[in-house]
Formats: sequence, structure tokens, C-alpha cells
Amino acid sequence: MNNSLVKKISLLATSALVAVGLVTIPVAAHAAAPMCATANYVESCGGVTSDGAKYAMMVPANFNGTMYLYSHGYRYAIDAPALGYKVSTILNNPVPAPLPNNDPTDQSVIKYLLSQGYGIAGSTFSIEGWNTDAALATDSELISTFKSKYPNTKKVIAWGESLGGFITQALAEKYPDLISSAGLACPALGSVEAELTVAGDFLWGMHTFFDSSIKGHNYSAGAAGEAEAQADIAKILGATAEIKASLTTNTWPHNSGAAGTALAAIPPRSALLLVGLMAGIPTKSAHFDATTGPGSKNSAAYTSFALAASPALAVLENGAQSAILGVLATLDLERQTGGAFFDNSKTDYASRLDSDLTTYNAALSGNTAIAGMLAFMNPANPAAPRWTATAGAPAKLRALVQNSGVIKVPTVTLTATSDPAVPAGNTQWLANKYAAQWAAAKAKAAAAAVSTGKYAAPKQMFLPIWNQAPVHYTTFDGSGSPITTTPAATGTNHCNFTSAQWIGLANILAKAATDGHVAPTSEMRALARKAGGIVDSRYQAPLLPFYGSN
Amino acid sequence: MFAIRSTKRAYLAVASLTVGALTLSALPAQAFSPRSEAGVSATTIKLGITTPLTGSAAPGYNKVPAAMQAYFNYVNDNGGVYGRKIQLTVKDDGYLPTAAVANAKSMSNGVLAYVANLGTADNNAIAKSPVVGLATNRIPSIFINTGYSGFADRSKFPTMYPIFPSYMMEAKIMGQYIKENFAGKKLGLIYQDDDFGSDALAGFKTAGVKFDISIPYASGSQSAATGAGWVGKLKAAGAEVVVMFGVSSATGAALGASAALGYKAQWILGSVGGDATTLKALGVPAAVLTGSIGASFLPGTTDSKDEYIKQFQDINTKYNAGASFDNNVLVAMNSAMLTVEALRAAGKNPTRESLMSAIENKGASFASAAFSPILYSSKSHVGYSGYWFGKYDSSGAMLPDGGTYSLYTTDSGAGGVVKATIKRPAMPAKGLPNNS
Repeated sequence: MNNSLVKKISLLATSALVAVGLVTIPVAAHAAAPMCATANYVESCGGVTSDGAKYAMMVPANFNGTMYLYSHGYRYAIDAPALGYKVSTILNNPVPAPLPNNDPTDQSVIKYLLSQGYGIAGSTFSIEGWNTDAALATDSELISTFKSKYPNTKKVIAWGESLGGFITQALAEKYPDLISSAGLACPALGSVEAELTVAGDFLWGMHTFFDSSIKGHNYSAGAAGEAEAQADIAKILGATAEIKASLTTNTWPHNSGAAGTALAAIPPRSALLLVGLMAGIPTKSAHFDATTGPGSKNSAAYTSFALAASPALAVLENGAQSAILGVLATLDLERQTGGAFFDNSKTDYASRLDSDLTTYNAALSGNTAIAGMLAFMNPANPAAPRWTATAGAPAKLRALVQNSGVIKVPTVTLTATSDPAVPAGNTQWLANKYAAQWAAAKAKAAAAAVSTGKYAAPKQMFLPIWNQAPVHYTTFDGSGSPITTTPAATGTNHCNFTSAQWIGLANILAKAATDGHVAPTSEMRALARKAGGIVDSRYQAPLLPFYGSN
Repeated sequence: MFAIRSTKRAYLAVASLTVGALTLSALPAQAFSPRSEAGVSATTIKLGITTPLTGSAAPGYNKVPAAMQAYFNYVNDNGGVYGRKIQLTVKDDGYLPTAAVANAKSMSNGVLAYVANLGTADNNAIAKSPVVGLATNRIPSIFINTGYSGFADRSKFPTMYPIFPSYMMEAKIMGQYIKENFAGKKLGLIYQDDDFGSDALAGFKTAGVKFDISIPYASGSQSAATGAGWVGKLKAAGAEVVVMFGVSSATGAALGASAALGYKAQWILGSVGGDATTLKALGVPAAVLTGSIGASFLPGTTDSKDEYIKQFQDINTKYNAGASFDNNVLVAMNSAMLTVEALRAAGKNPTRESLMSAIENKGASFASAAFSPILYSSKSHVGYSGYWFGKYDSSGAMLPDGGTYSLYTTDSGAGGVVKATIKRPAMPAKGLPNNS
């Protein structure tokens, strides 16, 4: 497997390794009073919740009464040897705070919070995978445990990333009295079905166009299913490597079968872009901005690359990450729901693609090619059968914890607009929900003003901070080849936030907890800018396809 | 959409809801102070344009912003719009829809309106991008530089105001011209394989024209090599009359290859790619261009007897130094004049809403160089609706068939093509609009 790709993919899973050798936290064997030790004026405690989740708490000598409760992101539910990932390692290493740039050695956020007098806490949760029900129980118990140990605790700020954002929002909805503000970084939100539909659409597209042996769903039980998933990962990486090579040859991947034959006149990159667009994969990635080409801006090569190649390469770079997460998450949730839950038998991809077909018309090789690809995807084409769900599985998926989107505590989101694993449309879903809530609050205040003669403005409780990718950032070497070894551009990749961004979010959350609301004041805007994001009330990210269009 | 309103705006909202129930004195005074409109200050009106200044589609069209600014500067030197000077923010998108969206987003809070944004795909991407929120944020995009008929659909593009006759109209009119003048000839077509081209295909189909060979090309793929490929296919098919429905650089590639390969055909050039100055700059030999047929809705650029042309030529000389006066400059200045008229009609303190209202309610009466009437109304975002045909002479000038302009009009549906009487408002004195 490509080493750099392995590294990127591993970033999705390795941040839980932080505590190994970095923070010495005593760990109790079972639910009991935490075991603590003090060094350098910081008391570090470890313990196990009643459901078996290991946790860590760190409190400085000058504790100011506010604790940050951190919920980590999705961790694969099974071992992934090719990625160096072991569930047991994750379950043994609680994470008390975010890790900048997904770097397990970077403790700068931990150090900052402790230096400011804040306490911090976090757990492994009792199980890995999609674990919202268990995580809610663990987080609420951990708050109680922390307060018991430190009775002078006045405020709890809950924050989390990715799945941890989903958990934090769920915590804020279910137990708003437990926390004073909520921070959702690169959050999954709403329904897990929406997130997994992105994965399902992309995997079906890869299966249909590039390798029909990719299983993508309906994995077998037990070890056989795990083997199928691991094999899928290898096949997806193999297909993407062939598509990358096809940029110069236009040769379809060797397993593309009927699609490769029927669509041979169309560059495979166009089909990959189509798959990415219909799934909702961003067209800006760590190294491809969909706007820049090599050499002079007036050269044909510049336009050709920027217009035709760059969006497809972005989907390729993003898609590899999201597909692997999608495979393992699909396996995980199929086990929880008893079968295949993804069903695209009635999905109208052509309708979903409407605006994208114009924006990316050239990259899709024009209307004629688009018509050919859509015709191939037509449900009536026996060469491109749709996937159907196992009876009962979708209902079980929908029965898992979902966010209602009701904001009950001051809530701040920090979202990369080109996040490939958890697209920014998740945050837009919450923004739309709050827009309705905010409008209702204003209407209620206005109605009250009619009778009282005084208008009491409602308090704003939601502040989305968008971490946007620059317009231009793709770089090229002397031969005109794109450089992909540089760090990912800001606003791209999953939870790829710097120390400054995390600390900026922490400061905004602290102020929100104190104020009891969070408004886009100049002070908040300045803090957001320091956090590498912007507050733009007019910004809208594309919704996840599951939710329809904006 | 999530929108956070300022406290002041919240008060305004309350005022509108409760005005019947409260006495005015019960509301804070600031509720009635005028709020500032994006892009409008006491001294300036800021407008924005995203257009290709670089890239393969830039030739010719890259002259538009400077020509517009030249006209605006002329107006500014003569009092501006009710005392405010017009400033045009120019962004280069390289004809990349993704860049056009980024440009539009970057300007969205700082300009009163976008004006003359270029390209079907670019305008479509801007209009449909949730990031920009053109419709939801009620941002006007006026006198756009594209003839895609879909943009006149007010339900889908409520804040867009196309001005060009649609490509469907152009194809229908061209189709009739072909049937009347080239019946029985083998016909060829080269077209951009996106909404730009599909609009043309629909028009030709409505006109009942069938091409013996149709060659689509993906936007941005045009080059000397692809041009040679097209000509090879046309030659093989024996096409005697070829319609070129593409941007200037694609037209240049086709005509250049035609010259290089000795392919003799009657070329009919669509208005988008038919500017002779640009084509010659792209290396198209005059011999190939001479005798080609073109279409336009504006007077010929060399027609100095036309009062609009003469005025625009004078402005170009004084305010756009060094720029040759060609069709791109003419289109730009005409759009700039329409913009000034729209701003004046929007009132002394223009807002986005008043600007759009002015175009809908008064736009049909705006003076412009076009021979075609303007069809704007409270129910229509259709601008011009007609073309005249001419032939390029050896100097590159396009002269009307028979020596006089014959305007043909139609719609973007199934309506017929009719020869229309030219009724054009007189040029405002000195080219300075004085409407209200």
C-alpha cells in the first residue's frame, strides 16, 4: 500500500494513542475512585467508568473551576493491520483533549488548557466504532466523577471531534444542565444514515464503474466479513491507483468490466469525479484545489489541468480516505443493525447532480459523456444493479441515537469546508436547524413585544466557524507534476486542525460558557480568525446528499 | 440558510411586525435610521465582475472589464450616478466555474451587484452554489455575459438578468438563415458540449435544421490540435457549410486549422466567438475570415455613422487607451451604459432590491445600442431577442447583408422567427443616461 496514503488513513485512527508515554495517568482496573498522581503542579487521574471505559482527568493546582470534557472521534471497531491499528490499544489509552494535526505527540492543547487553570477529561468509551449510546452514558458519568473528585467545579465545557462532535451535540441535547457550552469540531451531525449514505454511494460507484468485485456492503458475519472489508480496502486503493495512472493513458482499471467497455471513450477520471459528486465528496483536497494548473495561467496546460484534472484528483485524494472509513464503518454498523442498511434502489443520481453537472462539465468531459455515464448508472441497466437493504436493517440504523438539532447550550462548530470524511454539510444541517430555531425565538420575542411594548432580543446560541481552504494552493514541480508531499492545505482533510485552531476554539467556548450565549460579535469574529476560521452568516456548505440540496 | 442579524436589523424586523400595535415612540430611534446597503457608500457604488482575464477562453473577453471601467470612468467624470462614483471590482476566473464561485463569494458582501459575469457554466455555478447563495442572499447579477436561455427563468434564477439574446434564439434565427440561403448543402456544426451548446442544439432542432456532422468539444479542450481534428472530421464528412458555436479560442482553433489544412467551407460564426479582432489576434488569417457569416445584435463596430458606436468609440479613445474598439469593447460599454441606467432607475439610494425592481419595471425603456428591443418586465427576465446577419470583409469588419441591418427576432421556445422593425431609443446626450 502507498505509504503516504497509509499515513493519511492512519490519521483517522491514531489520535487515541496520545497517552502512551506522554501523559502518565494511573488507571484503575474497574469502576472505583480514580487513582491520581501529581507532578509539576498537575494532578493526573485515571479510572474506569461503570461500563468499562477508561478515562483520564488532569487538573492543575490553580484549577479555575471549568473543565473541558473531550469526546474523541470514530475509531475502527475492528483491527486494521495494514494501517497499524489495534482496537485494544485504543481502549487502553484515554484521550483528555484534542491532538493538533492528528499528531499523537502534540500535547500543546493539553498544556495550554492546564496552564490557563482548566481541568480536562476524556475517555476511550467502552466500545469503539459507532458508539453514541454508550458514549453518552460514559460522558455523563465522567462529568459526575470529575465533579465528585473536584467539588469546586463550576462549569463543564463539552467538546469533541468527528463522531465526538455528534456525541457532544447529543449530550447537549439530552443533558443540557450538565454543560455550559458545546464545541463541535469537524462534526458528524444529524443522522448516521446521512453519513453512511455518502460512503454507500461512493462504494457503489467504485463497485459499478471500476471494480465489480468490491463488495461495499452486506458483509458476511464474523471473520469472513472482516476479511471482505480488508479486501475491499485493498481493491479500492488499487482502483484509485489505476485511475491516477489513467490520467495520461485514459485506460480504465483492469477490473472495470462492463463500464470500462461501455464508457471506453470517456476518461476514467471523469467517471471518478461523477462518483465523487454524486456521493458528496469535496472537490478540493489536501493538495488539489480545482482551480490551479502548472505553468503560465495563459497556457493550455494550466487551464486543462485546473478545469479537467484537478477536481478528479481531489476526489481521488479525498475518496481514498472516505472510502476506507466508509468500508469499516459500514461493516461496523451492519453488525449493529443486522444486515445491509444502504439502499440506493430508488436514488435519482441524475437529479442530485444537477448543478454539479454544470460546474464540472468540462471535467466530466462534456454533456455527451455525462449522458453516457448517467445512462450506464440507470437502474434499468443490468450491468449496474442497485443495492438494496436487508429487511429491518435501515429501521435499526435509524433507531440509534440521532441529533435533533435543537440547540440548548451555547454551541460553536469548527468545520473544514473540504473535509473528505465528514463533509461540511453535516454542520450545514445543524445551521439550518438553528436558523429555524432562531427565527422562532425572534418571532416569539416580537409577539411578546406587542403586549409589553418592549422588545427583549433572544440570545444567540449557535456560532458556526468555517475553516475554508484557499482558492489556490496546488503546487507543481519543475516538470509540471503536482506536488503531494507538502502538508495538507488548511480547510482540507479530516479534523486537520492546528494547535492554534483548537486553542482558539477553546477560548471561544470558554467565553460562551461564561456569557451563556454566543453571538458573532467583533470579539468572537477576531477569536474565530485567530482560530483559522471565519464567521460568515451567509456561508452555506452543500448539504449531504441524504438531506437534499440547500 | 442560517443568517445572523444584527441587533439593529432585529429591531427593524420587530418594527415591521408590530408597527400596527406600537406607537413609534415606543421603538428605539435607531430602528429608523437608514441601514447601509452592500457596496453603496456616500460617495461610491461598488460593482463586481468575475470573468476570464487569463486562460484558454480569455482572448477577447479579457477586454470587457477595462472597457466597462472606461465607460464608468467617463460617467464618473461627468457627475457619476447621483453624485456617487462607480467602482468595478474585477476578478479573474480563467473561465473556471470553481474559480468564478470563489470570486463571487469573495465579493458578495462588498458589492451592490455583480455585473456582466461571463460564461454559461460560470454563471450557472455561481447561481447554484450554496456557498454564494445568489438567490437566497438576494444578490443581483445583472447583464450577464452569456446567452444561455435558462437564465431567464425567474423561478430558478430570480436575481439574474441576462441581456443577450439567448443561444436558442440565435440558433433558431441562424437556422432559418441557413434554410433560406444554404438549402441542400451538407451542414456541419462544432459546439461547446455544455449548456451553451445544448441551448444551440435545441434552437437548431426547433428551426428544423439537421446537421450532417456535429462535433461537440468539452470546454477548455480546444487547441490547435483539436482544431485540426475537427477540420479533419468536417472534411471527411464533406461539410460545405459549417456553423461554429464556441468561444473565440475554439473558433480561432477551427478557422486556423481550416486555413492550415486548406479546407474550404462557408463558415457561419456564432456571436460568442465571432469577434474579428480577437480571431486575427489568435492567428486566424484574414483570408479565412473574409466571406464568413456572422450574427450580432449590436451595430457593426466600424459603423461610425451609428450614434452609439461613435460615442463609444470616443469614450474608448479617451478612457481606454490602447484598446482597439472591437465587439468585446462594444458589448462591454453597452452593458456599462445599461448598468448606469439601472442604477439611476434604482433611485438616489440604491439597494439590491431597488436595483432589481428598476430593471424589471423600467428596463424595457433603457436606451442601448442594440437593435433588438429589451423585454424585461415584472414577469420576464428576457433581455434582447434578435439578431442581424452580415459578412466579414477583408478588414474583418462585419457588414450587414444587403447593406442595411435586417433584424430577426424570436423567443426561446417554439415561436417563429420574424423580421422585425428596428425601433431603438435615441442615444442619451453625450452618452450620459439621464433617466430616473
